[in-house]
Amino acid sequence: MGYLGQIFVMAMTAIFIQNFVLARFLGLCPYLGVSKKLDSALGMGLAVIFVMTLASAFTYLINKYLLIRYDLVYLQTITFILTIAALVQFVEMVIQKNAPALYNSLGVFLPLITTNCAVLGVAILNTTAFRPDGITAYTFLDSVLNGFFSGVGFTVVLLAMAGIRMRLEKAELPKSMQGMPIALILAGIMALAFYGFMGWKI
Amino acid sequence: MKFIKELTKGLIKENPIFVIVLGMCPTLAVTTSVINALGMGFAATFVLICSNAIISLIKDITPSKIRIPVYVVVIAAFVSVVDMVMAAYVPALHKSLGLFIPLIVVNCIILGRAEAFASKNNVIMSIADGLGMGLGFTLSLSLVATIREIIGAGTWLGMRVTPLTYDPALIAILAPGAFITLGLLMALMNMLKEKK
Amino acid sequence: MKYYLKLGFILFVFCVVATGILAYVNSLTAPVIAQRKATEEIQAREALIPNAKFEEKESDQGLTYFVARDPETTEILGYTFIAADLGYSSTVQTMVGVDKAFKVLGIRIVDQGETPGLGANCTLPAFTEQFSGLAVEDIYVNKDGGVVVALSGATITSRCIANSLREGIIDVQDEPTEGGEQ
Repeated sequence: MGYLGQIFVMAMTAIFIQNFVLARFLGLCPYLGVSKKLDSALGMGLAVIFVMTLASAFTYLINKYLLIRYDLVYLQTITFILTIAALVQFVEMVIQKNAPALYNSLGVFLPLITTNCAVLGVAILNTTAFRPDGITAYTFLDSVLNGFFSGVGFTVVLLAMAGIRMRLEKAELPKSMQGMPIALILAGIMALAFYGFMGWKI
Repeated sequence: MKFIKELTKGLIKENPIFVIVLGMCPTLAVTTSVINALGMGFAATFVLICSNAIISLIKDITPSKIRIPVYVVVIAAFVSVVDMVMAAYVPALHKSLGLFIPLIVVNCIILGRAEAFASKNNVIMSIADGLGMGLGFTLSLSLVATIREIIGAGTWLGMRVTPLTYDPALIAILAPGAFITLGLLMALMNMLKEKK
Repeated sequence: MKYYLKLGFILFVFCVVATGILAYVNSLTAPVIAQRKATEEIQAREALIPNAKFEEKESDQGLTYFVARDPETTEILGYTFIAADLGYSSTVQTMVGVDKAFKVLGIRIVDQGETPGLGANCTLPAFTEQFSGLAVEDIYVNKDGGVVVALSGATITSRCIANSLREGIIDVQDEPTEGGEQ
């Protein structure tokens, strides 16, 4: 399998087989919280893809050239979360200054992303992940791509959820099922559908 | 008296999972078995109590502009301590909780309590709040895990509780079962609340 | 400007204190973790081939394996190694013991993070015990024409374990120093 093939496998795994939200249970708060409207879901999704890709790049470099080199792996959690928080802050400032239009649509989601466990999750997973051959640890490019594809996987299910929930507003539901309960059951049905991708050995 | 009130509010009235709906990721991910749920619950409770206590102690010397990063540092430090201690003394549990131990850092319950309670109250009350919220979290996790483990594996805390003729419905401990169990439980809570 | 420096300084102080505490806790727990890992590995090896003296070696393919010899006669009793391959959602590591004719003595899953209820069942004796006594050409899951009964709903996990075992055994078998001493 060439490198392009491996990238394809990685993309399919991150988006469908091991979807961050439905199979790994990461990033559920925004998945359930920001999926009421399609346009805000899209904004959140794009912001997450952006931050996850950047965070994967930075945390990979920090882990490899700082933590592992100086035997400081026990500081991983604290350095990763601070890196992500600083990164999000920085991105917010840059966008606000240079692209006000983009800031108006994405800005409100950026602070929320710091506590999105999908971002910290992908950073930590990258440090222990292996390529499909099971021996080679992720390289810098692998980590960045994995971050990107995982973000895409998150966005895909977020958009699907928002689409369903917008239609659901017109449905008549028992009062006790409205809001969070029905969203969770919907997510369950979606997870069930995604299980169809399991056993999909590429 | 107030101490007791702060302690018990997290159990039912302000239950972090069913009422405030925070910390969904671990709620769904680690409730495949009761033992995992208890492990996660106690780890989070420990972090909650310690971070609440420290944050309440330092609330007067932290400028409000940088309070969130400071809270995050405090929480991350305690999470790392829990992570290392668990790896050393309960390796099996540490292994099965895996990624979700470091992810306690971004559990909204903990930062939420730091911001909403510990930064405004004294140490004793903050500890009570942390303990109550932590126990409420643990209790809710165990409830979800009990249902999932009995239906999905036919066991409770690893012991067989269903008749041998019962063929466990595996779906309950897989991902879809997690969402559906929690959704139905929340609907049930809502129904009970309406009746009152 | 001075105000921001002060803010940065306060944050820095917190980070330093936190790092100090973590370094201290790490210095207490790291040896415990390392020791536990080492003893677990030794115990797993000795359970597979009891009463033997182990000698560490590395194959041409880079696989670390242990030659088990009788402590008195120094006759080769068998080999153990840890086989690893990517399963469904994690890398599955299996400790394997083979006798000197390269028939499997037993296996033990030492590390896995597969789906609970499906792939994670690979640690159960019902699955691992069926490997005992198998020769290298039989170690395929039943779907691939072998004798290993795959876990229901977890063919990928089962296949990854079988394949990693087979490849590892062939790897050790092909070592010039080992094949010749049979």
